[in-house]
Amino acid sequence: MGGLLNNPKSVNNQNGAVVILGANGVMGIGAAELFAAGGYRVVMLARDRDKAAQALEEVQALARAEAISENIEIGAYNSDLKRTVEGAAVVFEALAEDLALKRGFFEQVDRYRAPDSIVATVTSGLSIAELARGRSESFRRHFLGIHLFNPPHLIAGTEIVPHADTDPAVIDAVRQMLQKRLGRRLIVAADRPAFAGNRIAFKTLNEIAQLVPQYGVAFLDYLLGPHTGRAMAPLATIDLVGWDVHQAIVENIYEKTQDEAHALFKLPDYIKQGVAQGRMGDKTPARGGFYRRTGKRVEVLDTSGRYYEFVAPKPIQFVERMKGLHRVGRYRESLEVLKTADGSEAELARRIVLGYISYALSRVGEAAASSGDIDTIMSYGFNWAPPGVIVDLLGAADTIELLKRYELKIPPVLETAEGKLYAGSVLDFGRTFVG
Amino acid sequence: MSHPPVFILGGTQTDFARNWSKENKHIVALMREAVLGALESSAIDARDVQTAHVGNFAAELYAHQGHLGAFVVDVDPAFSGIPTSRHEAACASGSIAILAASAEIEAGRYDLALVVGVEQMKTVDAAVGGDYLGTAAWYEREARGIEFPFPKLFGRLGDEYDRRYGLKDEHLAHIAAVNYSNARRNPLAQTRNWYMSENHAARQSRYNAVIGGRIKASDCSQVTDGAVAIFLASEKYAREYAKRRRLELVAIPRILGWGHRTAPIEFDTKMAESRSNPYILPHTRQAILDAFARAGVSLEQIAAIETHDCFTTSEYMAIDHFGITAPGQSWKAVEEGVIELGGAMPINPSGGLIGAGHPVGATGVRQLLDAFKQVTGNAGDYQVEGAKKVATLNIGGSGTTSCAFVVGN
Repeated sequence: MGGLLNNPKSVNNQNGAVVILGANGVMGIGAAELFAAGGYRVVMLARDRDKAAQALEEVQALARAEAISENIEIGAYNSDLKRTVEGAAVVFEALAEDLALKRGFFEQVDRYRAPDSIVATVTSGLSIAELARGRSESFRRHFLGIHLFNPPHLIAGTEIVPHADTDPAVIDAVRQMLQKRLGRRLIVAADRPAFAGNRIAFKTLNEIAQLVPQYGVAFLDYLLGPHTGRAMAPLATIDLVGWDVHQAIVENIYEKTQDEAHALFKLPDYIKQGVAQGRMGDKTPARGGFYRRTGKRVEVLDTSGRYYEFVAPKPIQFVERMKGLHRVGRYRESLEVLKTADGSEAELARRIVLGYISYALSRVGEAAASSGDIDTIMSYGFNWAPPGVIVDLLGAADTIELLKRYELKIPPVLETAEGKLYAGSVLDFGRTFVG
Repeated sequence: MSHPPVFILGGTQTDFARNWSKENKHIVALMREAVLGALESSAIDARDVQTAHVGNFAAELYAHQGHLGAFVVDVDPAFSGIPTSRHEAACASGSIAILAASAEIEAGRYDLALVVGVEQMKTVDAAVGGDYLGTAAWYEREARGIEFPFPKLFGRLGDEYDRRYGLKDEHLAHIAAVNYSNARRNPLAQTRNWYMSENHAARQSRYNAVIGGRIKASDCSQVTDGAVAIFLASEKYAREYAKRRRLELVAIPRILGWGHRTAPIEFDTKMAESRSNPYILPHTRQAILDAFARAGVSLEQIAAIETHDCFTTSEYMAIDHFGITAPGQSWKAVEEGVIELGGAMPINPSGGLIGAGHPVGATGVRQLLDAFKQVTGNAGDYQVEGAKKVATLNIGGSGTTSCAFVVGN
């Protein structure tokens, strides 16, 4: 029958596969599904074949199709790395976040790879330039970061992270592959700590985590819940991501950057202690995170480490009004409520939302090239309202007034903006405001 | 008798992958986003809209909300006072709204009509939703107490083909795979990032369960939340609009022809009626012929088709009913790659109901919008090269209400 179904030979129309290193990790599995579903031939490599075989079953579950294995070969590093890397069009590294481990593998890849094959890392924390250091010129020209967000089959936002030596033609080829074949919503991010999306999102998440001792979990997740432009409440998000992952990302940024929000990246002690005691969030259901769920019972943490029965916070009028307006698609009116509401709760909510805008748009020129790119990654990587949309809905002049009121940095891009900041329409951003 | 022309100025659809219940949204939010998006993308002033028609199948059931025409007024203060109405003909509801709006324009009553198709379906689980869809059949006779009645009815359409002409499931699997493959090119398609292959579609498996009769999950269209808004205009308004946008009037597509036929609602009655007819659904065939005759075109002039693939069997039926093959020989077009993007007669470049999604009352409007995108060269990665005329077929019930359009310049 007709052979018009998706089946590209390779990213560069060569006869090569996508070889995934660390294919039994969460990102390895997600990436294998993504490439195989896009019609690529995939090789999943792990320490041994059994691990790779188990990972393949998880790929089948993600794809909801056993037949996806038609596109997938499994193997072990010892027996299969040399042969498969030699024939690879793309080597996609998804090993644990360990510089020495990754460098060790890249040394082998450098030895075996075809001269025009692309090598990508899915790291979210390590420097792309550091990972490329000491490799051959050909390797360095063909090397870059492809930062997927978990789970990639549901979250389309993706950062391409070149380093100084990455060949522009390689960036173009990867862009084509990710956009056209894999349905990614792409930005090019700078090789800065945590790149663009995580840097911006975890600043706000950690800022809210710092407020837990003062305000409590249930109150903060209610006040700054989905109606403030996010698919999920912030502390519930940290539980989903994992406290250990939150710690790794936030400490990495705190250590390696010095910017206007430096203090907000300081990891709260209670999180550090929680992680040390094995409290990681959703992945440790018995120990819990900010929330602990047992059947239908929901408990919330207080920072002394005790759990209490979850009690819904007392409704706050402006929050309920915002939710009601989102429910009927009136996003501008909802942001007007946020802008004008009275009371200390509204002050706190505004300060956090404006802090997000300030920090996100101030990264233009540092972590990303444009406010449009930052809008894209916050919208499609996190399901958060793009900062540009919030500015447009509040009005640029009023946004600047509010930033002054909260003594927040005014992003240069805001001062020079003419007309709308956000390039899309309500059809693009509407989903980020939840009722 | 020649009627005044009806022009299509543009429109937008929501992202069919969205789950509006997860966003905790009321059905008015779907309508609102689609209409505001359409006003913006078409650069039309809300004050110019003189009449509005809403296509919707079952908001009373899915969203406990009727009177959807009135919700258009809620979108923009300028709409306050305009005449609105809601139209229902099961999965053909969207096309009926288009027919009502275009009839008003042909009659000279109004110059600019807004047509909105909308359905919010993810408010209930699959079993309840399947039961609601059963009301598109004769519920008491064909659906009550039956789990997933519609897959079973369209499975029987396949059985009827098998009985009269022979039917291989591998051809149905290929139809599914083509729709999913096309959907990967459509950034608003529900399944754009889903895995599908012919082998997966061809077999019953843990992840591809039989839903009813010969219909497996891979043969089914999706449960979808979605809204689509388009503008239809008289020649007078279209001329002004073209001038404003520095376009020639001929650059603005029009509805060249339409067909609308209704068969007996019960599937068994339909089959008995067509027993000696080479076409299994002769009224569907007639709706297509009517559209072609009114447009003054033959199949050879059509560049692509957006058809109603609520199940693979309904697309299989559309292939011979459009006249792409002789009756009963749809498999030839499937085998020869005719229906694929790049084939002689691409079917559902958008991905269709299987790939793009099937928000029931919005589907007919989505098809017309996709036809508009094709003939104006704005279909992006699923563009059919050089498409001048595109046909649509939208079906309500088990082949009961059939609406066809030809769109072109």
